[in-house]
Amino acid sequence: MPKFIYIIFGLMTCFWSAFAQEWKAPEEEKENVSIRLFDNEIETEGGVLFMNSCKSCHGSPTQEDFSLMLPSPGDLASAKVQNQTDGELFYKIRAGKGAMPKFGDALDQNEIWSLIAYVRSFNESYKQPEPNLEGVVIPNITLNLSFDDNVDKLVVKTLDENGNPMPDVTVKAFVKGHFGNYLLGKSRCNELGIAYFDIDSKMPGDEEGNMDIIVKASKGFGSAKVTQKMRVVDAVSFKSAIEGRHLWSVSKRAPYWLIVTFLSSLIGIWGTIIYVIVGLPKIKKQS
Amino acid sequence: MEKNSHSGVSRRKFLQKLGVAGIGATSPLFISSCSGESSRKKMKVLTLDNKLIEVDATELKIAKASNDKSYLQQEGREGIKGKKFVMVIDLSKCRNERKCMKACQSAHQLKPEQHHINVLEMEDEISGISYFMPKPCQHCNNPPCVSVCPVDATFKRQDGIVLIDNERCIGCRFCIAACPYSARSFNWTDPRDADKYKDVVYNVELNVPQKKGTVTKCAFSADRVREGKLPYCVSACPNGVYYFGDANEDLVTNGTTKETVRLSKLLFDNSAYVLMPELGTKPSVYYLPVRTNNS
Repeated sequence: MPKFIYIIFGLMTCFWSAFAQEWKAPEEEKENVSIRLFDNEIETEGGVLFMNSCKSCHGSPTQEDFSLMLPSPGDLASAKVQNQTDGELFYKIRAGKGAMPKFGDALDQNEIWSLIAYVRSFNESYKQPEPNLEGVVIPNITLNLSFDDNVDKLVVKTLDENGNPMPDVTVKAFVKGHFGNYLLGKSRCNELGIAYFDIDSKMPGDEEGNMDIIVKASKGFGSAKVTQKMRVVDAVSFKSAIEGRHLWSVSKRAPYWLIVTFLSSLIGIWGTIIYVIVGLPKIKKQS
Repeated sequence: MEKNSHSGVSRRKFLQKLGVAGIGATSPLFISSCSGESSRKKMKVLTLDNKLIEVDATELKIAKASNDKSYLQQEGREGIKGKKFVMVIDLSKCRNERKCMKACQSAHQLKPEQHHINVLEMEDEISGISYFMPKPCQHCNNPPCVSVCPVDATFKRQDGIVLIDNERCIGCRFCIAACPYSARSFNWTDPRDADKYKDVVYNVELNVPQKKGTVTKCAFSADRVREGKLPYCVSACPNGVYYFGDANEDLVTNGTTKETVRLSKLLFDNSAYVLMPELGTKPSVYYLPVRTNNS
């Protein structure tokens, strides 16, 4: 029995020391900073990623509704997280440890920075450190969109400043919706600088068959965004929800049968009354 | 775009009502100093066609900016062209946090016992499992409440939203009786914070200020939707229960994750259903059933 207790105690000490060990980012990564400005757009982008990838464990920032796990995932708006540098957060999201997944496999650099931008939006005293741009090459990406109606594919061509194809660019394409953008796909350009996205031909566009297509591209520190109205699907005509004649509609647009029934009953009843009244003097005359 | 055109109209109307708007007349202090009967002062004012003219200061009147809000009624009645709003409620995600109810009540000036959206506790008779079911107005495409209204106070718009105009409502409560979903409630007493909302101009899309003796109901947050924002309840949900969007675009956006998905696929993949389909009311609110282990 005492042996058993010792074993449990030993195991607990092992686990405890493993958990208690502070999670440190390598020195060379600590000072990394985002080259993109943390503006509203990048924060919103990060917010969407956060809700899909992080919220299940970390909860909503400032709400302290994180999952009960050991080690605790903690609230990301807490001082413990906010006191870390952007580089440290980037490393931890990218590399992961224990129960924290390695998001470097699933998210690209820009997406991780957008997550950090979102988390920083809960820290009012945070000031984004200025990046040192010396010796950094920022690729200038130009996007060229077209639609291949033979295969229903959106073709995105990425070009550099000289008009040459730019390979290995990460490209994401969306359809603009009233409340949010629908992701068509995420792809990487081939060696000819081309990425393809499937578009469902059954998807409704506007009355002329147009769709607002948004394409975002990034490579290294360079990024580009294009919004273009494109004719990619068949034109559809939208019916107004109050079109036609309905029982519930205003009197002007009441169903014909209702108007006919109502008016004929009205004329019938009043006609009878008037006929009787007109006939009364005749009865008197005859009597 | 819709919004801009309305704001354009309102600005024009505002200037028309202002009549001759003095350059310095934006200061109420200045106007009050000039509005005395005995004043013979002449004032230089700018007309709508940018001409500087002189008028007697006594003839100037302060324009009431609140009159300008008349466009709210018109745009509230018309709705948004080319849209057809729908809501999808994923029952398996609801944890009865009731954040949707609180957000709705605070936006629509409702008391805690009044609900535009209510989370009900349900129990499946066959499987015996219990779950929570948020129930807003179903914004039917064949709305029985609108059929019975004798004064055209409740109406359906071109974007599918069913609203109530409490300036026309006579409080007969026919619509409450006609609604098979019990989605409407009556203001038996003065609404919450009645004093605070006393001078607020009535917005039919928000249905605020509420009025005693009238019926109130869920408006699909028509005021927010006009701005391209998700309804109050949808954005308040912490569990990703609600999807809201435009059926004409075939896209719905989740209020929590902000993820946009295809409406037709979401409904088909999850065997969506509507409440009481046998009544032929054709609701705009779809439910995704609770997922059980044996299904």
